[in-house]
Amino acid sequence: MQLDDEHVPLRSGAVHYWRLPVESWRPALEQIRSLHLPMVESYVPWSVHEVAPGEFDFGERDRRKDLGAFLDLAEELGLRVFLRPGPHINAELTHFGIPPRVLEDPECQAKSPRGNPVLLYFPPRMFPVPSYASEAYLEEVGGWMKAVGRVVGPRIWPDGPVVLLQVDNEGGFFFRNGPFCQDYHDDALGLWHSFLAERYGDLESVARAHGAEYTGWAEVSAPTVFDGSEGPGALARQLDWAAFHEALLSGAIGRIRKRMEHAGLRAPTVHNVSLGDGGLPVSVPSLAREVDLVGLDYYHPAHEMQTVKRRTLYLAGTCATPYAPELGVGAPPWFTPLSHHDSLTTALTALAYGVRGFNLYMAVDRDRWYGAPIDADGRPRNEASDWRRLLHALEQMRFHELERRAEVALVWPREYARLARACHLLGAMSPATLEALGGTPIDACRSDRLGFDEPIQLAWWELLERMAEALTAANVPYVYVDSEAPAARLASRRVVFAPAFELASAERWERLLELAERVHVVYGPHLPSLDETLRPRVFDRPGGAPPTRVTHEMAHALVHDWVDRFDLERPYAALPPVDTSVHRRGDEDVALFVLNPGSPLTAEITLPGPTLAEDVLTEERFEGEERLQVPMAARQTRLLKLDIRKRRPRARAPR
Amino acid sequence: MISGNLRFEGFDVTSWQNLLSLFMPGLRDRVVRARQRPAGTLTVVVDEDDLVLTALHSLDGRTDAHTGQELPPLRALAAEAGARRVLVLRAGAMEELAERVALRYQPGQDYLTQTLTVARAGRELADAGLVRLWPNPMASVPIPSPQAVQRAMDLVLPVDKAALLVLWDGELWTAVALRRRREGIDLVAGPDLLSRWAGPLGGDWRRDHRVFVDAVARAVAPVHLGIFAEAATFRALLSSSTPGRWAKAIAVRDVVVNPMPGFVAAALSADAVRGVGQVSARALDGLDVAGLVLPIARMLRGRVLQAESVRDILGFDPLSALAAALRRHERSDDTEP
Repeated sequence: MQLDDEHVPLRSGAVHYWRLPVESWRPALEQIRSLHLPMVESYVPWSVHEVAPGEFDFGERDRRKDLGAFLDLAEELGLRVFLRPGPHINAELTHFGIPPRVLEDPECQAKSPRGNPVLLYFPPRMFPVPSYASEAYLEEVGGWMKAVGRVVGPRIWPDGPVVLLQVDNEGGFFFRNGPFCQDYHDDALGLWHSFLAERYGDLESVARAHGAEYTGWAEVSAPTVFDGSEGPGALARQLDWAAFHEALLSGAIGRIRKRMEHAGLRAPTVHNVSLGDGGLPVSVPSLAREVDLVGLDYYHPAHEMQTVKRRTLYLAGTCATPYAPELGVGAPPWFTPLSHHDSLTTALTALAYGVRGFNLYMAVDRDRWYGAPIDADGRPRNEASDWRRLLHALEQMRFHELERRAEVALVWPREYARLARACHLLGAMSPATLEALGGTPIDACRSDRLGFDEPIQLAWWELLERMAEALTAANVPYVYVDSEAPAARLASRRVVFAPAFELASAERWERLLELAERVHVVYGPHLPSLDETLRPRVFDRPGGAPPTRVTHEMAHALVHDWVDRFDLERPYAALPPVDTSVHRRGDEDVALFVLNPGSPLTAEITLPGPTLAEDVLTEERFEGEERLQVPMAARQTRLLKLDIRKRRPRARAPR
Repeated sequence: MISGNLRFEGFDVTSWQNLLSLFMPGLRDRVVRARQRPAGTLTVVVDEDDLVLTALHSLDGRTDAHTGQELPPLRALAAEAGARRVLVLRAGAMEELAERVALRYQPGQDYLTQTLTVARAGRELADAGLVRLWPNPMASVPIPSPQAVQRAMDLVLPVDKAALLVLWDGELWTAVALRRRREGIDLVAGPDLLSRWAGPLGGDWRRDHRVFVDAVARAVAPVHLGIFAEAATFRALLSSSTPGRWAKAIAVRDVVVNPMPGFVAAALSADAVRGVGQVSARALDGLDVAGLVLPIARMLRGRVLQAESVRDILGFDPLSALAAALRRHERSDDTEP
């Protein structure tokens, strides 16, 4: 983050001021500094500050709630501040930090297909979740933001320490994001019609696409069950509904951001996407049009290293600044238990594959949490030393300025992700929930072909997995790029692989055609013939090449062909299951991550020349002329600082 | 059950993991469990004609072995998938469950009532054939009312009282104090807080336990039940089903229970009597004395609400009797406490 002449890395630690005695604020913030973190982060909880409808306590009655004093202290100690005023914050607060009076207002509640409130079963209380479409809810949010603005507005940089603001939190419809969970609120149905009008132009076109006879918008109902197997019209309506969810959420985030600005909360903005992003009705590129930075949250056991890899490669491919607004250190008591090893391995793995900035959540312990490196009195726990060493190393190597190069991109086709969500069969146990529990978002998809050659809702995912496996085996760095990400995210690659079946987004295809003029584009197994509204369309061949059908064996052959034809770089190659990831400043190799997702072994890494490497956590040193031997524990990620004094000019790894 | 104002604090990552490892030893071993069979749950979604739409193993992920086919017998399906249990859902059952729960939602309901509402709606779906579980040991167990659960909680941990568990492994290994208020458990305090409340300790846990009891009484609420032991001892006891183990451990002070509420005393008495029976049986060439004392154990359970102490119930101290018996008949190969 550039603040005048100052370059501030986006590295922060979470401290919840209202949960700590005021006397603990100073030692806690001093410990944040001693962890080499330049920023502190906190939520601002609506339900805690609102003492009566429209009446707020910001320290007048309870000193713990004196947000202004907390911000002033952070500034005094030289810390920048990242604030997250919600309205939804979770923070393991009852009702996720939203006042019960708002949640119990039927006008504010999201609605189920039968018009019931949509409940989130979550300890210590089940509650009705608010509707992202509800005007009444957004009106309430505006009132809350005005209250926050009075305290925070005058303290925004350059007048104060606040440099970053988050808009809402983990916008995944409050974890009730199955395809037909919500939102059937009247305001949502109004937005559904507006969405269709914009997508198709007019009611007549909508009727044609849906294979229906609509005489007015009121007849264009939202689907409440999957009926996509009944024909192209029904399937088109399902795809519309899945796309609408993404638009509804992004639109709401944009509207909340505007209310924040209106309240004087004007600073760069962030939104964070929760676990299970592969199955969420959330479009990262669409959110990125509403806020300045979109990031992913990370809470993983060490054995989910491959999931962390996939998520981070998506983030690094899709977003210019890969950021983790919540890099979990510890966890709430009702979450999968996470050890220190889990948190540290997840952090290292996310950094390995491209995360550049992060917020350690939590840095300081508090109610309904365990595992923070600093206790609630502001004293470092044993685990703090590992974090301090890691953060110090990142600071020393100016990690935020480094680059992980990936010459190959796999396109993440949003229209197929929507189809997969529409085909989900487990309702509230949504694709995102399955993924967050360690599965994949297609685990509970119906497998009908829906009139296509194969079930696209399953095939796209399997195809990407196959390509990723082949690229990993060949030690070729790659990323995933969301099909709706800015064109520049793909244009900088040398090879782009795009899954393509009978249907495809026309907009995506146009971009692929343009891209193919500069980049080698491979697509398949089909040349599409239907757009994403299932209307017939002529699709040209990107680069004039025919579609490629990729079997398991072919994926490996294809990748080796790319390596030969394009002289793709395969730096620091290692035998599977070990993976490596190098981060550079210009042509200088600065940091090397070595990752072992399996059992203990000794990794043998091909070097570009004589190299001395030092593990930043254990201080072990490894030296080699052509190869580096590094003992790896099970499910371990090491960050090695490379000694460039002993380096020769880089040579390419032999095949 | 749990209060909306629940506070959970005072754990570091190690002490929390240690506590969980006692009661959920397999929770963190997903990688290991994935290799053991049978393990996990196979969830199958079927249509109205019982044709399989999709199937998902909780450890292995998606499986398409029977997609499009008629649902096989659940026992065979479990064996084939290496699953410990099979959950069959009619397509739309999850949505139906959500609607039924939402219909009964009332603002201000406590978590216990909410949980029982979900359980009842689930039972209705099972009765309607929309949900099937194999095996289903709970099929005939009635879902209790919130009042019945409250009464049970009143026995285990009365309102405005605390329960305490402290375990050592050379040093403090883990600890937890729970406090119950009218609306449920409102405090779960870990070793950081307990150590602060207790202050300096002598280093001998059999003495130090009193310091914890007094500290929690001062800082939280009077202690209704306190359990203190070495971690290894407690872990072994949790996994042991041998009659008399608990009673023996308490008798020889491998475990200290202080204070000991009536229901624990009665349970321990039953355990002790059964243990004495087994020891006696060995002494009497295999005569099953345990079978003779079971009616006494049942009687004890019946009197549990009136029980104030073991001695009141039995007229003698069974723990002392057990300890004496054990001293006479200690088995040389007995490695468990």
